Amino acid sequence: MLIKLAWRNIWRNPRRSLVMIFAVMIGLWAGVFVASITTGLMEQRFRTSIQQQFSHIQIHNPDYLKENNVVHRIDEWESLGKEISENENVKAFTMRTLVSGMIASSNLTTGIKINGIDPEMEAQTTGLNENVIEGSYLAGEEKSPILIGRKLADKMKVRIGSRVVVTFQDTSGELTSSLFRVCGIYQTSNTLNDELNAYVLQQDLNEIVAGDMIINQLALICHDLDSVNKVALHFQSRYSHLTVRTWKEISPELSYMQEMTGVMMTVILLVILLALAFGLLNTILMSVYERIRELGMLMAIGMNKRRIFGMILMETLFITLTGGLGGMLFGIVTIRLFHFTGIDFATVGGDSLNDFGFDSVVYPSLDPSFFFTVTLLTIFTALITSIYPAIRALRLNPSEAIRKD
Amino acid sequence: MIIIQTENLSRTYNDNALPVQALKDITLTFGQSEFTAIVGPSGSGKTTLLNMLGGLDRPTEGKIWIGGTEISRIKDSQLIDFRLHNIGFVFQSYNLLPVMTALENVSFIMLLQKRDRKEIEERAREMLIQVGLEDKIHVRPSKLSGGQQQRVAVARALASKPKFVLADEPTANLDTASAFNLLDIMQKLNREEKITLIFSTHDQRVIERAKRVITLVDGRVTSDEYFDR
Repeated sequence: MLIKLAWRNIWRNPRRSLVMIFAVMIGLWAGVFVASITTGLMEQRFRTSIQQQFSHIQIHNPDYLKENNVVHRIDEWESLGKEISENENVKAFTMRTLVSGMIASSNLTTGIKINGIDPEMEAQTTGLNENVIEGSYLAGEEKSPILIGRKLADKMKVRIGSRVVVTFQDTSGELTSSLFRVCGIYQTSNTLNDELNAYVLQQDLNEIVAGDMIINQLALICHDLDSVNKVALHFQSRYSHLTVRTWKEISPELSYMQEMTGVMMTVILLVILLALAFGLLNTILMSVYERIRELGMLMAIGMNKRRIFGMILMETLFITLTGGLGGMLFGIVTIRLFHFTGIDFATVGGDSLNDFGFDSVVYPSLDPSFFFTVTLLTIFTALITSIYPAIRALRLNPSEAIRKD
Repeated sequence: MIIIQTENLSRTYNDNALPVQALKDITLTFGQSEFTAIVGPSGSGKTTLLNMLGGLDRPTEGKIWIGGTEISRIKDSQLIDFRLHNIGFVFQSYNLLPVMTALENVSFIMLLQKRDRKEIEERAREMLIQVGLEDKIHVRPSKLSGGQQQRVAVARALASKPKFVLADEPTANLDTASAFNLLDIMQKLNREEKITLIFSTHDQRVIERAKRVITLVDGRVTSDEYFDR
């Protein structure tokens, strides 16, 4: 009976209740949708940063990390590589020779990091082959091929087949130059990274640098995030003279960004719930003030305080849940829709997102637990909000309230 | 059988620190099946007395017993429950629930009393038939005339078979025909249901029907007359 009364009471002033229901609906939809875009953006950034840039674990000679000099090699790369390939938690790994130098075309000379790679291992670990947008990956027959980023290619005004000269220091400290031919142009979501990294065949680079095999970095991708620390600790204990770092140590900002996403979601949620609370408070308070005589009558005929309180609480809940569920449903539909099509922010912001390492096409995504949390918090907000109007109602003196105009 | 008894009942209001005595030394008894009108000019204390008898206000001095319970001493929460099970109210402005139908309005108090659903519906229908609204059972108050709304209010007050019903100027907002119709119904129910009815009124039409007329002037009982009608 109370449920029926409360439900009908909210439709006593349908326009006001509908405005409030729509406000709750739009507010929650907007909150959930913005949260899904933020989550999608951050997840994509995390995924691509791990896959294309950092991997889960990197292993270096500690001196290389201090000086960035090719001479600081990993001597036992063969045994280490074998052990890594046999580790059940490791999905893929790659071994790189890293040299800092200059790249020159007829138009421009600029600083660059040359990555000497095994194309197959690199493809399995970072999926670099999938990022090639023009030309071919390093697997061709061509002599001394080089794969460069689109932004660098644009700056240097080079095309597929163009020749570039790469200059760097070899292991004996002598400056050496070598001619490479652009075989492919790649593009990732991180244009800054694309501009600074070029890829060549490991044997080509090693021939020029030292004449024998030099490995400066091993990058590992694990099957899941939970096993990363375990794998890192294992190899660190096995090779204590090397430096084994997880993605959190390599890029603390990535870890910080993950934490910040959680904080941002909480802030978004709090702002929405605060707006919701004030909107609801206004609506319910108005509805109580409009019904003073009726509430007085209910008290007079014997409706106790618990029931009056319950009725007002239910009215608040009905408005909130109707709008809230509508907003969630609308949110789920839009998130699912854009999760497949993506939202292309390049149309409004150009490459600016790429410049900061984010994908310009964002695929909204949201953990189902977020919906659960939002529902619980919305109910909690409604309960808290209804307390004040309910107390106002309970303070009424029935004999005076009955005579109120 | 005595239903209500008051002893030296007084009520003083402190308006702007200036005490106003609304009721002075009222000692009355009301028996079963009475049809009593409390009359007097505006400000004489009729409504205050009704509020006291209905447990909506507490006396400054004196005592009120209803069926052996001294209601002036019980806690607020107990008083609400006491009202629910013992007292019926009819208000001047009908005060029906606008979102409920006539049948739901009449059932409301019995639902609060947690009676059997089937019994509630039967009794509510029976009461609406008794007040001549059998064709308006599923109609909401906004679609009823003032007289019809007041009949629903009377049916609501009597449906739960309270010890007595207090009616505060029930005919004040009604035209003559509706007022007579309502009084006929109330008299009939008073006879058939044997429920005590106490009115506050200055409507001559009500006074002429009352079997007992208590006159209040300046918060004091100036006359208490019985009529054989």
